[in-house]
Amino acid sequence: MSGLELFRQARDAMGTEFEIFLYAPEAGGAGELFEQAFAEVERVESNLSSFRATSELSRINREAGRGEVTTDPETFALLRLAGDYGRATGGAFDITVGSLIAVWAAARRQARRPSRLELAPALATTGWRHLQLGAARRTVLFAVPGLTLDLGAIGKGYALDRVARLLASAGVESALIGSGQSTYRALGAPPRRAGWRINLDPADGSSLRPRVQWLRNGALSTSGRGPAAGDHAAPGEAGHIFDPRHGLPATAFSRVTALADDATEADMLSTALFVAGSVAAPALLERFPGSAALLYPGAGSSQGPQELRWPDEDRASSELQRA
Amino acid sequence: MNRRELIRVAAAAAAAGTSRGLLSPRESLAATRQAPSDRVNLGVIGPGSRGKYMMQRFLRVPGVRIAAVCDVYEPRFAEAREVTGESTPVYRDYREMLDRQADLDAVLVATPLSMHVDHVVASLDHGLHVYGEKAMGFTVDDCSRIVHAVRRSDRRFQVGQQYRYAPWYRQAVDRIAAGEIGRVTHIYAYWHRNYNWRRPVPDPSLERLINWRLYREFSGGLLAELGSHHLDVANWIFGEMPERVIGNGGIDFYDDGRETFDNVQAVYTYPSGAKFLFSSLIGNHKTGFQIVVYGTGGTVELTLEDGAFYYEPARNNSAIPEEMLAAGANTSPTLSTAGDMPYRGDGRPIEVPADEVGDPNLLAAAGFIECVRENRRPFADERVGWETAVSIALGNAAAYAGDRVDFADHLPTDLFGSRG
Repeated sequence: MSGLELFRQARDAMGTEFEIFLYAPEAGGAGELFEQAFAEVERVESNLSSFRATSELSRINREAGRGEVTTDPETFALLRLAGDYGRATGGAFDITVGSLIAVWAAARRQARRPSRLELAPALATTGWRHLQLGAARRTVLFAVPGLTLDLGAIGKGYALDRVARLLASAGVESALIGSGQSTYRALGAPPRRAGWRINLDPADGSSLRPRVQWLRNGALSTSGRGPAAGDHAAPGEAGHIFDPRHGLPATAFSRVTALADDATEADMLSTALFVAGSVAAPALLERFPGSAALLYPGAGSSQGPQELRWPDEDRASSELQRA
Repeated sequence: MNRRELIRVAAAAAAAGTSRGLLSPRESLAATRQAPSDRVNLGVIGPGSRGKYMMQRFLRVPGVRIAAVCDVYEPRFAEAREVTGESTPVYRDYREMLDRQADLDAVLVATPLSMHVDHVVASLDHGLHVYGEKAMGFTVDDCSRIVHAVRRSDRRFQVGQQYRYAPWYRQAVDRIAAGEIGRVTHIYAYWHRNYNWRRPVPDPSLERLINWRLYREFSGGLLAELGSHHLDVANWIFGEMPERVIGNGGIDFYDDGRETFDNVQAVYTYPSGAKFLFSSLIGNHKTGFQIVVYGTGGTVELTLEDGAFYYEPARNNSAIPEEMLAAGANTSPTLSTAGDMPYRGDGRPIEVPADEVGDPNLLAAAGFIECVRENRRPFADERVGWETAVSIALGNAAAYAGDRVDFADHLPTDLFGSRG
């Protein structure tokens, strides 16, 4: 790829910073690509944001408890995918967590956790099985009024995948797109390299060696303590991902990093595995071919992460030397 | 049900909703209002960025199907099918689409401005209702042709000026009309951005097709693309259209072969003496999209998402007893600037009731489909579209000449009756 230069631009969106690296022939053209890419992020946000009353998601939340709501093919497909994820993860991943998020946010404003008594009514209006989708007419219906959808756990990944598609159709062969440094999607690899280099910081306070992952056309996402907004956590808060099935914090791991073919799935998996725990995680991952995960044990442990189908790093770096 | 036959549906159902005949989002989008036989088949001419955006909104209205799309640029076919989620029939020639697709009820026209007249008129002449993106037409003559086509077809036309359907705009206009900010003397409107307005072009041969906004053959430039909504809101608030305009602008930032101005300033005068001032530039972002309505008793600021009311400080202006004549007035050397500083406090935000909240583009799309089903005149009809579009065309004439243009010299006087 001669004659290409590396450009970068970052903008705030979806409550975090989106960052795009791409190779392009010159600055003017790169600028136009960035405009289109960030316009696509804005388009996704305007459709899916829980924080905008005019979003399609907010409209569905307002209306689907009263009767069927017709939605567009893109939104319907994403809701159907999310429902499939709910089923495949046994509810460890669940987009119907809006009620629980609200209870957690209210409690955090008082610097405490919600009690079981406070969680009970929110749990009654939670559950991916209550989301009824009608494919014939693209309808959405809540079997339980008060059900509230929140796409925070896959929305950013979905936006990254949309940007990757847009850049690819515009002829870009090499790009890295990231949201908040927690989820990355690669399009191709940098010239003469095996992939885009992602540094996976070791868990807090450990003496573990830093890991490196090379992304080429795939995606990586990390959930856990730290600025990982987008998990089952109250908006704007760090850490404390809760389990949608009982509303209490998931405590098995301090951090989970997932690899997948696309960012929507990686984003989802890092959350689902975090909730699923060490016993359920391997079987869960098996249902998603091409995926892998690093599961870092809970706070206080000095052990390294458990690897589930994690690719061999030495092979990746030797590919780099050969390229 | 094919709407080439005239369907006379009792308009009583439309009585629900506001006094302007606009339904709430819940009402207009309720699946229960539409029987399966009320399917509306929509054709699309020009599924570009705006076209695809509106297609997605139309697909959120129960019972609407995108039955066919047409574009001269082949990559749009796959993009359009991605939005519809099915193998929608595609055409390169709009006349062929209109001839072949006997199932169409209505057409969305979202092509470059200079092409609107051909696409809108052909659709109407085929007996189809039309949702025409703003501005309604390019030249004054184009706009007259569209109005005549609407009349002879006896079909419904809605112009894509969606802020007429935005709940915070409707509330602001109602409250202004009720006198809440006194007499409105000026409306200042801005759309300032900071980028060169270019789209990526895969091959130089596609420059004029993809970057049509930059060429005078196809485009009304910043005034048409970024000023239509503001001008329409001004016409809406003033209740009339302008009678003259002074224009200005230039290509002062971007030396890249473009023909449309990269900054425009226009001042319109209305028959009442009120003024509308519009500014657009693409070298600074701070001001963004704003409409500021100045009244003798207060101010309203409107944006793409919200609005707020501000009130002028109350001034006591009654006669007072003459006691101070004996006591005298005191003098001191102080000078205060406080009276001329800008007000930096909060305004009173426009609160939209929960059951009226909605995306204006979706509300506009749902409103159009409702009008198609019930054979009702849209709120943003061809007269609304005409008044905006000819004002834009004459504003551009003024700006390109750096001169004043009197509307009476250029417009047919008998196209519409007087406003009731």
